[in-house]
Amino acid sequence: MFNRLKNYKDLFFVFVWRELLIRYKQTAIGVLWALIQPLSMMALFVIVFGYVLNINTKGYPRSLFYFAGLVPWTFFSSSVNASINSLIDHRDLITKIYFPRELIIFSRISVFITDFIISAMLLAAMVFFCKTPFTLNFLWVIPLCVLLFLFTASVCLLFGTINVYYRDMRLASGFLLQVWFFSSPVFYSIDTISLKMKLFLFLNPLTYIIENFRRVLIEERGIVLWQFAIAAGFVMALFFVSYKIFIRLERSFADVI
Amino acid sequence: MSSDTAIRFDKVSKIFSKGHRQYGTLRDEFISFFSKRKLTRSRNPNQFFAIKNLSFSIRKGESVGLYGPNGSGKSTLLRLVAKVITPTCGSIKVNGRIAPLIELGAGFHPDLNGFENIYMNGAILGMTIGEIKLKMDQIVEYSGLGDFMTTPVKKYSSGMNLRLGFSIAIHSDADIFLIDEILAVGDEEFKKRSFDSIKELLEKKKTLLIVSHDLKKLTKMTNKIVKLNKGSMLND
Repeated sequence: MFNRLKNYKDLFFVFVWRELLIRYKQTAIGVLWALIQPLSMMALFVIVFGYVLNINTKGYPRSLFYFAGLVPWTFFSSSVNASINSLIDHRDLITKIYFPRELIIFSRISVFITDFIISAMLLAAMVFFCKTPFTLNFLWVIPLCVLLFLFTASVCLLFGTINVYYRDMRLASGFLLQVWFFSSPVFYSIDTISLKMKLFLFLNPLTYIIENFRRVLIEERGIVLWQFAIAAGFVMALFFVSYKIFIRLERSFADVI
Repeated sequence: MSSDTAIRFDKVSKIFSKGHRQYGTLRDEFISFFSKRKLTRSRNPNQFFAIKNLSFSIRKGESVGLYGPNGSGKSTLLRLVAKVITPTCGSIKVNGRIAPLIELGAGFHPDLNGFENIYMNGAILGMTIGEIKLKMDQIVEYSGLGDFMTTPVKKYSSGMNLRLGFSIAIHSDADIFLIDEILAVGDEEFKKRSFDSIKELLEKKKTLLIVSHDLKKLTKMTNKIVKLNKGSMLND
């Protein structure tokens, strides 16, 4: 599956480098946007969900609680948003030259990985300032990030492919992401809702990822191994299947795009 | 396939549909996704053969010209060789790295400058970053765009686009070059230069596949001319 990418390593680097270059071309404050976006969302959350709706954050500082949820969520939603149109945006290339098309999507996601790393460093600084004692549980963040990246990549591959055939995807994406946002524990904690609802929400792998992301970072708790095994198994299977579908359909992209 | 064959087509057909969508409904697509056999769909009046049952092979170092009226399948043939589209049935074997000079500058990004776009396009043509760095000076010199290399490509004229695109493609170390009508544009001086470069590729024993409406020019650049009509080869 990854063998086909062997000869295209350099092209991948050039794609990533180009995405980074054009991202902040003709902007005034450039890379600061990577920080401003999640920070302003956090401020908004503190006002709306905190002061207006008074949603329970289990006694943790509101800004920290929301920010810890926003960092993985922002990565997911902006990657998906940018990937849906990415294949169409490269119509000129796709109809003229062959290269593994997933490079387009993977390079686009890697730009958001850099954004993710920048905001994660800010999050680490916030955790430090809130005097959360450092425990080894922090290290769980790494496998959780891997799951987040794989899950995001699968969704991007699927949605990007669908959009090549049916532009309905692009029109549905706004609403879809909104529903997805409310069904992920970004501004609430899964602990505060009923068991029945909880089981339903866990159908969404992001629920697991975001909830545990916060758990190991600010709540000083570890993660439950068997739950992690199920989530990891599901995400890996999903990635495998969606990548296979992508490779199978990629051959006719130039005909239909 | 013997080792001196560069391209081989074996009973290749390509069907296009006239409508904007290749398949019909979601249901059809679902079925076609899971069916291994192709061409099981019933003959649709909306579909036509762009290439019909074509078999041929081109040896390494050969230069073949494709000649025929509009819609005879010349460009489709090039795109099949370039693996951009896949045949509806039949098989295609290609031996070696391909540089499609089909639409020069297709990979250019308008916001990037000349240098940046050389990296971009070079990598798309299969060059490594090291190779591009090594050949950068040659590419810039050949294009004759020295002063404009730091200008974003969106400000280039179409002639400048062509020069840069051609320069990158000609310096890519490919084995097979696909050339489609590109010599029709550009000024006299550049036309002559690109003509010389193509001659040079011939001397270097590269495989060339050239599409043109200019039969006179084609005979000068190729050792064999294939006439196409309605997706089939005419015997010459």
